[in-house]
Amino acid sequence: MKKIMGYRNIGLVFGLIGLMVLAAIITPSLFSFAALVSMLRNNAVYVFLAIGMMIVLVTGGIDLSVGSTLALSGVVCTSLMSTHMDVPAIVWVLLSLVIGIICGAFNGFVVGYLKVVPMIATLGTMYIYRGFAFLLSGGQWWFPHQISQPYQDWAAKSIVSVPAILWIAAIVFIAAAWFMGYRTSGRRIYAIGTNVESAQVAGIKEARVRFLAFVICGALAGLSGMLYTANYALCTYSIGDGYELQAIAICILGGVSITGGRGTVDGVLIGWLMMSFITQFISLLPGLSVWQHALQGVIIIVAVFINIAMTRSSEKRFLKERGALL
Amino acid sequence: MSEQNYILELKDVVKTFGGVTALNGVSFQLKKGEIHALMGENGAGKSTFIKVITGVHQPDSGIMLLEGERIAPKSTIDSAKMGIAAIYQHVTAFPDLSVTENIFMGQEIKNKLGMYDWRQMHKRAKELIEPLSKEIDVTKPMGSLSVAAQQLVEIAKALSRDARILIMDEPTASLSTNECEELYAIAERLRNEGVSIILISHRFEDMYRLATRVTVFRDAQYIGCWDVDKISNQKLIGAMVGRELDQMYPEKTAKIGETVLKVEHISKEGYFKDISLEVKRGEILALTGLVGAGRTEVCQTIFGIMNPDSGTISLEGKQIQVKSPVEAFRHGIGLLPENRQTQGLVNELPIYQNVSSADMNHFAKAHMIDEKAEIQNAIDLCQRISLKAKDISAPPSSLSGGNQQKVVFAKLLSMPLKVLILDEPTKGIDVGAKYSIYEIMNELASNGYAIIMVSSEMPEVLGMADRIVVMKSGHVSGEFNNGEVSQEMLMAASLGEHRKEGSA
Amino acid sequence: MAGENKGTVRDLTVKDSFQLSKFLVKWEMMLVYILILINVILAVARPGLYFNIATIQSIIQSGLDLSPMVMGMVFILLLGDIDVSIASEMVLSGMVTGILCDKGMPVIVAVLAGILTGAVCGAFNGVLVGYVKMPAVIVTISTSMLFRGIVEIVLDVNSLKNFPAFYNAIGWKNIGILPICLILYAVITVIFYFILHRSTFGRQLYIVGNNPTTATYSGIRVERLKLIVFIIMGVMAGIGSIFFVGRMGGGLSSSMGTGYEMDVIAICVLGGVSTNGGKGKVYGPFIATFIMAFLLYTLGLVGVDANTRKIVTGIVLLIAVLIPNLNKQFLADIRGKFASK
Repeated sequence: MKKIMGYRNIGLVFGLIGLMVLAAIITPSLFSFAALVSMLRNNAVYVFLAIGMMIVLVTGGIDLSVGSTLALSGVVCTSLMSTHMDVPAIVWVLLSLVIGIICGAFNGFVVGYLKVVPMIATLGTMYIYRGFAFLLSGGQWWFPHQISQPYQDWAAKSIVSVPAILWIAAIVFIAAAWFMGYRTSGRRIYAIGTNVESAQVAGIKEARVRFLAFVICGALAGLSGMLYTANYALCTYSIGDGYELQAIAICILGGVSITGGRGTVDGVLIGWLMMSFITQFISLLPGLSVWQHALQGVIIIVAVFINIAMTRSSEKRFLKERGALL
Repeated sequence: MSEQNYILELKDVVKTFGGVTALNGVSFQLKKGEIHALMGENGAGKSTFIKVITGVHQPDSGIMLLEGERIAPKSTIDSAKMGIAAIYQHVTAFPDLSVTENIFMGQEIKNKLGMYDWRQMHKRAKELIEPLSKEIDVTKPMGSLSVAAQQLVEIAKALSRDARILIMDEPTASLSTNECEELYAIAERLRNEGVSIILISHRFEDMYRLATRVTVFRDAQYIGCWDVDKISNQKLIGAMVGRELDQMYPEKTAKIGETVLKVEHISKEGYFKDISLEVKRGEILALTGLVGAGRTEVCQTIFGIMNPDSGTISLEGKQIQVKSPVEAFRHGIGLLPENRQTQGLVNELPIYQNVSSADMNHFAKAHMIDEKAEIQNAIDLCQRISLKAKDISAPPSSLSGGNQQKVVFAKLLSMPLKVLILDEPTKGIDVGAKYSIYEIMNELASNGYAIIMVSSEMPEVLGMADRIVVMKSGHVSGEFNNGEVSQEMLMAASLGEHRKEGSA
Repeated sequence: MAGENKGTVRDLTVKDSFQLSKFLVKWEMMLVYILILINVILAVARPGLYFNIATIQSIIQSGLDLSPMVMGMVFILLLGDIDVSIASEMVLSGMVTGILCDKGMPVIVAVLAGILTGAVCGAFNGVLVGYVKMPAVIVTISTSMLFRGIVEIVLDVNSLKNFPAFYNAIGWKNIGILPICLILYAVITVIFYFILHRSTFGRQLYIVGNNPTTATYSGIRVERLKLIVFIIMGVMAGIGSIFFVGRMGGGLSSSMGTGYEMDVIAICVLGGVSTNGGKGKVYGPFIATFIMAFLLYTLGLVGVDANTRKIVTGIVLLIAVLIPNLNKQFLADIRGKFASK
């Protein structure tokens, strides 16, 4: 019991449970297995973006280009697939990762080595990648009949009554948790984010770590592009518009610090679940679906406010401790 | 004594920064398995000395011997490999990472797959921490621990790297009595295990409890090394403060008038407790003590940057509330901040705009700035303090330290003030320029300003002040009239020898 | 020759700041050159179009719908903050005006209520950023969702069509040969020029943007200043809604104007305003607004469509932030070489 209460995301878990109870009372129809699975599937794309975003946020950066990266990778994969139906679908998955890595590497290079503020650098690439997505799509739409079944299967195929996209999300989640928790490179990301100077003194190469964080974030955004088009069997250049803000919102809900250093993969998972419930629960209430964005905005503000209040009170406690010495 | 007995030896080490000599031919010997205290005033060169040993700075000349072999560490990573570790008063580690990870940063335990073996690391960390403290949870983030606990973690980290030489910089400065006792026990145990410790401390108690020998630095120079049991308190203080009053101080001509500012029993949790002081028209009151004694915080409270938990401030007999610098200025209280670069100047703006930044109403009509009037106003103020500048539309960074400080002075003089608080007004200013700052202070006093000067330099305090208040760990530890006090007495009060009003 | 001694005694002088060689390589002048260059290319590539005054008018009109917000953003960036909620603020303000017009309120009331809405939104951001001390990025990301969310709640899928007639005029009409929006933008810029470069408030902005600690020690109320700047931004978003709705032909729906915040920030950065705070002038972004307008229009003329032009916007933004960075490094390298010799 003590161990559970000492779990660092315990507050988030309570928040999630509270939300679920509320949802259960108001919209009991949410709690069938099929409804839950469909809810998660509809929000699955955000997991990839949010985990990638978290890794960048932990370094103290931000990546506004993930929505555009998603679109670029989605457009490239879909357009090539529609003309090369016979190529095995796994090729498109790998291709989406490659596109994402290239996009992320460019961000990482500009931020890590050219020392441009992440906010502005990725604002620029957000435009650039979106523009390329349009250019390559030629403004075209792809509809379900143009998207091959094996391609769609990567998201839709039911394995043990859970769609493939959720299994992939689970794999990414475990891999990210393993990487951030147990790999030297992952831990270096935290070290840079919590104290750059100490990290440099400890011999950690700042530029390289930042570069790596953006590459991972880009790779996940690229993957999410392919999975998006497979999941909805739909593609155009404007997909994923504004998803970067959603991803940041999920991270903030999941307790990731925007100033770097703090944030866990499991926290992001909880944040994602919370956001999914909110979205779904709102959409089930008649006439409330238009409330979605407004409520999400309020929820984030409140979450950050609580976060700041907690930090302040711990500072106060610290001063009190010091006061006792005088 | 033959060299073989020394684990660490430094000979004639010189280190200069720009034109400032931080270490001037310093020598030092550390015996194997001894605790060696290093003492000296603020700015005597102790911290530069540590940084040279740990490889943060490279000496200009001189040699370092580790067990008789020459070494020249280029970084803290280098020195750590040689078995030298330093533990600082303010720990700068990774506050968001766990204790375990802080201990093993850079030398993590991994399994065959290259993964962090957290179980093993936590276990090892526990083994390292347990003898030092039973209460530290190694899985907690470093930032959630008390300062004392963080220091213990740093010690554990040093031990995990087989440190043979441990440098402890003011380890007891922020510890309670109990925590000090624990630390003493740990230090003694380490010594018995063969670790050599350099202990830097202002507390005589630390030295008597632990050290067998003590080395004193003063003004970047090596003064001497004594066995602790063969040197008296008086002699040691003499060695530390024996600085000659070679600096000239201008004759003070101001007439002291009635009390202007009276501060009574102000306290601020975590910073200072029950501070009372008063300053009169034309008087220079020095507020001295060691760095970290709470002097700056008292000044910031009077100026409204911080708000006191209790106590009162009155100006010319009337009680006032100062909640912000804006209100302080309105009441006529000005502060020359301690760090002119980060608190006093805007280096991106021209000198004249810096001068006018605090009070723009002189030359602004309906909130629009009349630039001609602004420049004229700035020129007048700069001439009043004889600023030496070729072009006042250049940024302040083009000036020398002394002239930069004058720009901040000019800024304060643009307003009708009654009380001026000067926090280390001559810090980082070369000797020649100091004199002109003193002249300005005297002139201001003659013009009827009541001045509070915070200073760590005893000669400056004795040369300039009419009255002196000494602070130690957030308390007033002595109050003296100038002329009836010596450097030794001030030092003794700073170190905590005097608790009550010190009479000569 | 550079020194003109305005002082009377001793060695204090104020050097006349005008130096031709320095003036010509200023960032703002670079922008002018770029603008001229674009025009020359345009003139050569499409002479028939270029010498047609109507074309130039429509280029300007198409690029100025976001112009009021550029000036507000200059102030925000000067503080070292950022506001990505402005497009939502703009749409919300427009909605309030539109609804009041629908209800038959007098035009002046409806318009002022719209601008006031913007100010309230700005104040909300300003309190959270200035007094609660939350990071501006987070606050404005959330409020951009919140403000647009309110529009979605109220309008749902409907759109507003009933706007004052002068809205259209601002978007499409000229007085003489000058587009109305250009005249208004020039007036706004002059006002902002005086606030930023001539008033005590502008001076305080620079001080806070460069060094907030020094500002506090100089008796500047940093929190209040931030609040005021965010309110100004909100007001400009409110005014921006007039330009925007006018340009959109007098219609407004909840999904309009997304991404405008990014365009506005890009123009400011191109105009030489540093996102780190404290650096930038009013006229840089003023010129940059036209560069973007002409650039995007030129690209349109040579057959590049609106979405591909985003690539250019992005690249321009990146280059604009990279130049000062590279310059600094370049200069440092040169200095390093000389020092080693």
